[in-house]
Amino acid sequence: MTQNLFLFASIADAPIAIRSTEIEAVVRLGDIVPIPLVPPHVRGLAALRSRVLTIIDMESRIFGRDNRDQRATLAIVADIAAHSYGFLVDTVSDICQAPDGIRPIRGRIDPAWAPYAAGLVEQGGRSHLLLSLSDFVAAPGASALAA
Amino acid sequence: MDEILAEFIAETLETLDVLSGEVVAWEADPTDKSRLDAFFRFFHTVKGSCGFLNLPRFERLAHGAEDVLAAVRRGERIADPATVTAVLAVMDRIGALARGIGEDEQIAESDDDALLDALSLNSGGFELFDPLPPKQVAPTTVETPDVTEIANDDEIHMETAPAEAPARRSSDGAGRERAPRTIRLPLALIDQLMNGISDMVLARNDLARKMRDHGVDPELEGSFERLSANVADLRDMISKTRMQRVDRLYAAIPRMVRDLTRELGKKAVLELDGGDVEMDREMVEMVVDPLTHIVRNALDHGIEAPADRLVAGKAEAGTLRIVARQSGNQIVIEIGDDGRGINRAALVEKAVAAGLYSPVEAAALSETEKLNLIFHPGLTTAAQVTSISGRGVGMDVVRANIEQIGGVIGITSAYGHGTTITMRVPLTLTIIPGLIVRCGDHFFAMPRGNVVELLHQNSAMISIESIGGASIATIRGERYSVVDLEDVLKVPRLAETTGPRTLMVVRSSIGQPYVLGVQGVESNEELVIRPATPVVTAAGVFAGMTLPDNGQPMLLLDAAGIAQVAQLPLRESDARGRPATEQAETEVRTDMIQALIYRERDGAERLLPLAVVDRVEDLEPGQITISGGHAFARIDDRLLPALNTIGHETAPPKSLRLYDGHEQICYLIDDVVDIIEVPAKLDVQLAAGRIAGLVMVGDMQFEMLDPFMLFAEAATRNARGADQSARPIQCLIADAEDPWMRTILAPLLIQAGHDVSFGVAAEGEPDVILCSDAQAVETAAEVPVLALRALADPTAGAPASIYRYDRDTLMAAIAQAARRAA
Repeated sequence: MTQNLFLFASIADAPIAIRSTEIEAVVRLGDIVPIPLVPPHVRGLAALRSRVLTIIDMESRIFGRDNRDQRATLAIVADIAAHSYGFLVDTVSDICQAPDGIRPIRGRIDPAWAPYAAGLVEQGGRSHLLLSLSDFVAAPGASALAA
Repeated sequence: MDEILAEFIAETLETLDVLSGEVVAWEADPTDKSRLDAFFRFFHTVKGSCGFLNLPRFERLAHGAEDVLAAVRRGERIADPATVTAVLAVMDRIGALARGIGEDEQIAESDDDALLDALSLNSGGFELFDPLPPKQVAPTTVETPDVTEIANDDEIHMETAPAEAPARRSSDGAGRERAPRTIRLPLALIDQLMNGISDMVLARNDLARKMRDHGVDPELEGSFERLSANVADLRDMISKTRMQRVDRLYAAIPRMVRDLTRELGKKAVLELDGGDVEMDREMVEMVVDPLTHIVRNALDHGIEAPADRLVAGKAEAGTLRIVARQSGNQIVIEIGDDGRGINRAALVEKAVAAGLYSPVEAAALSETEKLNLIFHPGLTTAAQVTSISGRGVGMDVVRANIEQIGGVIGITSAYGHGTTITMRVPLTLTIIPGLIVRCGDHFFAMPRGNVVELLHQNSAMISIESIGGASIATIRGERYSVVDLEDVLKVPRLAETTGPRTLMVVRSSIGQPYVLGVQGVESNEELVIRPATPVVTAAGVFAGMTLPDNGQPMLLLDAAGIAQVAQLPLRESDARGRPATEQAETEVRTDMIQALIYRERDGAERLLPLAVVDRVEDLEPGQITISGGHAFARIDDRLLPALNTIGHETAPPKSLRLYDGHEQICYLIDDVVDIIEVPAKLDVQLAAGRIAGLVMVGDMQFEMLDPFMLFAEAATRNARGADQSARPIQCLIADAEDPWMRTILAPLLIQAGHDVSFGVAAEGEPDVILCSDAQAVETAAEVPVLALRALADPTAGAPASIYRYDRDTLMAAIAQAARRAA
């Protein structure tokens, strides 16, 4: 049943969907401590009780922008390869089933999105781009290619 | 069922660990009833559980061993070495099988028969260190378990085992004080527990801040204090759940020592001390491999064969002593043997042969530095590679492993008397004392173990100078590179600075110590370290992350990484880089040669062309022999002519080994001073015995020795006087590859004022061609050819050849040939 359960959110005004199996929680962040010498999409560290999250800005990674002066409040928490991450999102709308499942992408999407979007998920009459969180923590070399 | 099986495997392996240490003690004293009982119980339990879990192979092995032990218990059989070895083999097999459950790799079942045969073989009287007899297939059926017997036993134990097991376990606990009652917990649960406590500490700190801000009544504050103290205690306690006794580290060693000494035909007494010291279980895992390696080395290379030990006046059995103790927040493990120690000279020789150091650099190494060469990749003093060690892939890996966990390894050795290796490792991997430093707007943690010293920038102890963009600090005469953390991390400095900056002298595992400048050091805390995410560690300067008590996440700095990012010189790069550049320069600038400045025994400083110096070595006075008025040095079972002896040698003289491509001589000196570049042509040419001429170096002038004369003197002891021709004669050396021609003859000709070219195809018209008599050259032109022979005997070489150290004849022949050409 969890196969078709998705979190629907938005980044950069685009609706996105993330498989619920990848997600641990959605939290409001406190202060983010910036890290020197890392790519701009690594926003910094944030404390979640006794855990330390590495905060990833997906929008920055997709478009190669430096958003470090912008505010960030909402993050999806996920454990990937034994490390805890927080992925910044602008809004979160819902977690629910998508009865139609994942459909292939029709039409040409922005090339910036292409390396990350794995399909479309329909919810509430709108299509959402399906993203996988683990794509955003891969080696920085891959990031340069994608950007 | 799976759960029971997993528990069976874990329990079996753990018991095996404990028992392997005891089995050796049992062998030493076979009459020890209680140990025998312990083994018997082990096999009995395995056998019982196996029947229950349907593992027939385990059962058959355990049954065989149990039978033998039962016979020993009844006094029908004695625990001789063969029996012990056979029992050990069965224990090993049970361990291997237990580990193999659930994995694909399987051990052939037929192998078990050989083990059981070895068990049933009642040998009676093997020498303690004899190798095992070949596996016998003799049809001794006396004690081999037959099938029906097993089946009978099975039924009995099927019923009794489950009921019996718990009872036995509790009696174990009462009987043996060393093994307190324990339960098995998954590590993940303990980690969760630790995280929970950390959360609690953070919540407490938060509450404390809020209470301070609001001001609460003393009664509430008292309650809070009590809660706070409890939380602190709890945190200490939970940290202890990760601790393990060093005994666990020791468990496998007696067995290893026993097996190795048998294999090597040596005898050794093992002393273990400090088994009750506790260290982090992860740390125990990390130390097992290095410790094993060092013990193997000690047995293989350190402790001598019994006969050699007796000759050296030592006890027949060597002593291997392992001591663990806690020293502050470090665990110190010392492994000492009373074996032959480390031959520093051999190590240095290998390092020179491997091109790590030039002979001059090697001669300048301190005793400790020489000893530390053993940690260099690829160097070993083992004369032969054995199956146990000596491949030279060892101590460097050991050092790397220890340093990786923030430890330090040191070595002391007295040649002939033994070696002691000391490992110092932190108590735990996850909680380290750290300094919180400020850098611009950021805060970072630095492990306190890396920080040697803290100084204020305006301290009188330190002076900083800026040279060519690099900044260098001098503290008590030592020079350090200075890096500012803000520059390394590329963060802006604070605009308004408050007070002087703080300078930390930082030591890392890979490089020389350096000075790291920070805005300030804020506090000093025990930090719980977690690994940082890969994208953060990719920056190269962060070792981990932590959450200090203020609740703000923080990164832990990596001292070695900062040195790398700042491109500070590493430990070996300067020593290695120099010979390489020298070589490159000599190739480009052929008119310059390298010369060694050395101090003669009368105190005068002179020069020698570096090309003829093969190595610098320290000789023992006993190595110098005077025979027939001539001195010889015995080196590597050869007698080399020694120049400059002062009669009876008392102090150990230093010697330059000179090499002309064929012959070696020792030239005794007081000490080596430096290496410089000088022009190949001397500034003033002299012909005064060994002195070739004068060379100006800066505002000094040095006498340059004439290696030709030294070799001539050593070879004939009567080549005196010199003949110098003032006219430049074009000399062509036919064989450019011949080292003698290149390093001895060519400089001689140049010093005599002649011009030298190499190779048959050289340009220009030579006045004379020089070649070795073995490789005579034919020329079309009527240029005279001088053939030189290596031996003094005129009949030994080609006709009309000239003995190459017969300087007078050679010079005369060159002059005559040149006159003829003119």
